[in-house]
Amino acid sequence: MNLSQPLPPEFGEALARAADRLGAFAREIVWYADVSSTNDEAAALAEGGAAEGTVVAAYAQSAGRGRQGRVWASPAGAGLYVSTVLRPPPDAVSMLTIAAGVAVAEGVQAAAGLRVDLKWPNDVYVGPRKLAGVLAEASAVRDIQYVILGFGINVMPAAYPPEIAARATSLEAELGRPVDRGLLLAECLAALARRYGDLRDGRGDVVCGVWRMRAAASLGRRVRWAAPGAPIDGTADDIDATGALIVRTDAGTIRVTSGEVVWM
Amino acid sequence: MDFDEITRILEMMREHELSEFELERDNVKLRLRKQGSGHGTVAPAYPPPAHLPVPAPASAGTAAAPAAAAGPPGEDTELAIVKSPIVGTFYRASEPAAKPFAEVGDVVKKGQVLCIIEAMKLMNEINAEIDGEVVTVYVENGHAVQFGERLFAIRPA
Repeated sequence: MNLSQPLPPEFGEALARAADRLGAFAREIVWYADVSSTNDEAAALAEGGAAEGTVVAAYAQSAGRGRQGRVWASPAGAGLYVSTVLRPPPDAVSMLTIAAGVAVAEGVQAAAGLRVDLKWPNDVYVGPRKLAGVLAEASAVRDIQYVILGFGINVMPAAYPPEIAARATSLEAELGRPVDRGLLLAECLAALARRYGDLRDGRGDVVCGVWRMRAAASLGRRVRWAAPGAPIDGTADDIDATGALIVRTDAGTIRVTSGEVVWM
Repeated sequence: MDFDEITRILEMMREHELSEFELERDNVKLRLRKQGSGHGTVAPAYPPPAHLPVPAPASAGTAAAPAAAAGPPGEDTELAIVKSPIVGTFYRASEPAAKPFAEVGDVVKKGQVLCIIEAMKLMNEINAEIDGEVVTVYVENGHAVQFGERLFAIRPA
């Protein structure tokens, strides 16, 4: 059973200090020590009419998920798991996941001083190891009603399942010092407010520009795209103005907007 | 604005399956709206041409498919066609090994998840607009879908 609890002071104070940069974010925040999935909780709130910017955050998730049912290991105290309710205008939807990657990268850097790399569209890496991930889920009846934008950041080293242990890292493992989680939450939400605001105001080009700088380590590398039918190999060249990944192949250039992309 | 121009706009609306079109200029305000676009049951205004392959391949093996594809037009209007709101990849289940959200013959409720369409790693859950029975699934799992492409046919309960 998921029971929400009072917001711990470290979060409340950091959010209050960042209040003028948060826009609509975290005006409503629901906090859990342990929850099944922050995305599921946020979706339930959105179904009930929760306003844009409503935040669900937790120290642990018993059923943390990635895309297509993959597990996102969320052991107690090891990470920060956050989901937000968005009600984007149709124009802002396609770039949302690109903006989310930028926001998490900016939030991590602002709060912890660690420079991270983005892989299309929004996986957050330090070198070859994954530090944070985004799960964006929308609900549509004819048109999109709401989007739940969730992100999980590994804060402390944890006993990850063996199959991911070699591919995961955490802020404290990288920095060798404790990280202020309240500041991390506040800075990620402030960055999200800024980049989501860019999209809403028609400044997708700004978001693309920042994304390119932060994805410099992954652009130019070989990728395999799981195209319907046979996979296609190529070089990840760039993103276009809509956020689509441009892959150069022997047969020409293709524009990837969906499906699995694996970095080789 | 002349009659030819309006005809061209109507053709464009048909081609792109637009339900509404608005144009305002030189003190002329034109608003075109396809009948039936305001509620859940959208029937194609014309039957699909016989020489084009129907998006539901025979391998989908649905007994009900002929009713939607080749049946008399009167029967067609009974079905609610769920179309893709975006360009993306069509997934019938929450994860590769899971049971599909909706199979042919399933009775679904309004608001129930029918499928996921993924675009830019945004997982879009497409929900049923009405209660009814799934009679056709037009797209195979993992395939790309276009804006406005037919996904499901549902016979309203």
